[in-house]
Amino acid sequence: MTEIYATIIFLFVLFALLGSSVWIGLALMGVAWVGMELFTTRPAGDAMITTIWTSSSSWTLTALPLFIWMGEILHRTRLSEDMFRGLAPWMKFLPGGLLHTNIAGCTIFAAVSGSSAATLTTVGKMSIPELRSRGYPEYMIIGTLAGAATLGLMIPPSLTLIVYGVSINESITKLFIAGILPGLVLAGLFMTYIIAWHFVRPSERAAAEPKMSLGAMLNESRFLVPVLCLVFVVIGSMYFGWATATEAAAVGVVGALVLAATQGSLNFKTFSMSLMGATRTSAMIALILMGAAFLSLSMGFTGLPRALAAWIDGMDLSPITLIAALTVFYIILGMFLDGISSVVLTMAIVEPMVRQAGIDVIWFGIFIVVVVEMAQVTPPIGFNLFVLQGMTRHEISYISKTAIPMVGLMLLMVVILVAFPGLATWLPETVRGPGSG
Amino acid sequence: MRDFEPFLGLPLWVWLFVMPSALAVGCHFAKARLGPVLRPVWRILDSIYVASGVVAACFMVTILLLIVAQMIARWSGVSFPGSTEFAGYAMACTSFFALAHALTRGAHIRVSVFLNMGTAKRWLDPFALFMSAITATYFARYAIKTNIFSELLNDRTQGQDQVPEWLVTVLSLPANAPGNWAEMWANTGDDWVFTPIWIPQLAMSVGAILLAVCLWDMLTRTLIDGGNPIRGESVE
Repeated sequence: MTEIYATIIFLFVLFALLGSSVWIGLALMGVAWVGMELFTTRPAGDAMITTIWTSSSSWTLTALPLFIWMGEILHRTRLSEDMFRGLAPWMKFLPGGLLHTNIAGCTIFAAVSGSSAATLTTVGKMSIPELRSRGYPEYMIIGTLAGAATLGLMIPPSLTLIVYGVSINESITKLFIAGILPGLVLAGLFMTYIIAWHFVRPSERAAAEPKMSLGAMLNESRFLVPVLCLVFVVIGSMYFGWATATEAAAVGVVGALVLAATQGSLNFKTFSMSLMGATRTSAMIALILMGAAFLSLSMGFTGLPRALAAWIDGMDLSPITLIAALTVFYIILGMFLDGISSVVLTMAIVEPMVRQAGIDVIWFGIFIVVVVEMAQVTPPIGFNLFVLQGMTRHEISYISKTAIPMVGLMLLMVVILVAFPGLATWLPETVRGPGSG
Repeated sequence: MRDFEPFLGLPLWVWLFVMPSALAVGCHFAKARLGPVLRPVWRILDSIYVASGVVAACFMVTILLLIVAQMIARWSGVSFPGSTEFAGYAMACTSFFALAHALTRGAHIRVSVFLNMGTAKRWLDPFALFMSAITATYFARYAIKTNIFSELLNDRTQGQDQVPEWLVTVLSLPANAPGNWAEMWANTGDDWVFTPIWIPQLAMSVGAILLAVCLWDMLTRTLIDGGNPIRGESVE
């Protein structure tokens, strides 16, 4: 009986605090505090600080600020312009034309940044005006951009995967490597959608691009090569076991600084802006992680996660039913919370459940990222929708309508992941070296 | 409550929770009178928040340097004991020092569905600030308690990280009477000692205090100016 009371009180306080727009990290702390005082005799405050200190001074977590910083540096360089100019000559051969620069640009920037919003602004800043001037239909420009930008969460480095890995104590390197293939498959799905549009709606095609010599094409894309090298070094060093995730992040920051310097866009102003921006973002995530750490402790004392896992186990669900139920659950949660918050908020409960059901936790990390990606583009709360609204001045309702096909493709991605789990689990098994950290 | 024993004649919880709440209520009813008094305080606090943000940024650079140093040490076969612990401390310092600064710049996220519903904003925003301030004050109170206990119990690191003994002495000087300083300094050896946990935990105490102060501060500003001073930059 206590468990039912505990559940009701936890949920009630949680929704009351979150709903009254208390900052998410502090709301989680508040819920945990109430839970500790009501259901345990342990001194709540002391247990709280011990947990928060341990979780926020962890070595594994240091990858987080560094990857954020790397993305911030590149976000402030001239990468936006170079990305479009460099990709356009190559993409014009594909059916669907320059719309593919949205997908390819997001995929490349996702590989240097772990944030979906940064990916969206970097790629969109240049591609929206350029594509508009070439007469591509508005709904395709915005829809594909909204969808593709979510790849920032999936393709390593991914902030969501770092947070997931820290929450359940799994190797971040493995999670990163696991994200590569599903990320590319999802990008492929988006491109297929553009190609399909090209053939289904011939009347909406844009005029063909002018011809360009091979030399000119290479010349235009010369700025992209260093970025691709950086991507290869960062991901490769993790894959081949030369560096832990944190060390790869440090290499990424140094590489990004060198890149920005050679491009001539590194000065004191951009340096300090990127540094302060990264500091703020990492503090934001750190506060949520602190709250979540205390909440897991508090819920652990009430025995709630164990009871729930046992209950799910008793229902004898097949893993597929469980995954379907969790998909619906996370989509609903994602309507109100951002990805990182919904991951940390639920992990204490979901992790025992998933392990009990015998689901691979690395695979589950990739699954959760796809579902959380959907949340980025579904109203009423979708981060990408807000960013796009700021960039294009369209109504949220219009933007979310253009993104509906992308949500469909992401649902298809969930089905593909369930049908071919090897997509996520095969590559990490081939990682060389200890693969720790 | 044994954790809230009297301080200057009043229970500690009166100082921590009741006094700031009373100030907030005062701000609501005496806007015109308290506004001019508080404005100079706000300016000072603003610069403190920025300063702590800069300190946090410096620790971010420290993380980078530590990890680069660790990699170079590994490649060149030099041992760098405790580098992971130091990076962890720097991580904690970055997070905690930046908490208040991130709040003033609107970097912390919250669910704003109801906040944007027009009529609710008037009272919901102060309410959210009040609840957050209470939680943050509670957090800060126990951060300080834990920090003091770590020092009393002489809690040392579990890892291999060491700091020079003089650094420990310098940092503990402010907590002692100046009359004892000469003696403490004379007793300090040239050795390296395992890091006492209270040193990195100072960042947690300072950061938690700043966050709590900042939230109460934002609450008084909201009540006096009739609008939340936190302006989010574009979502990032």
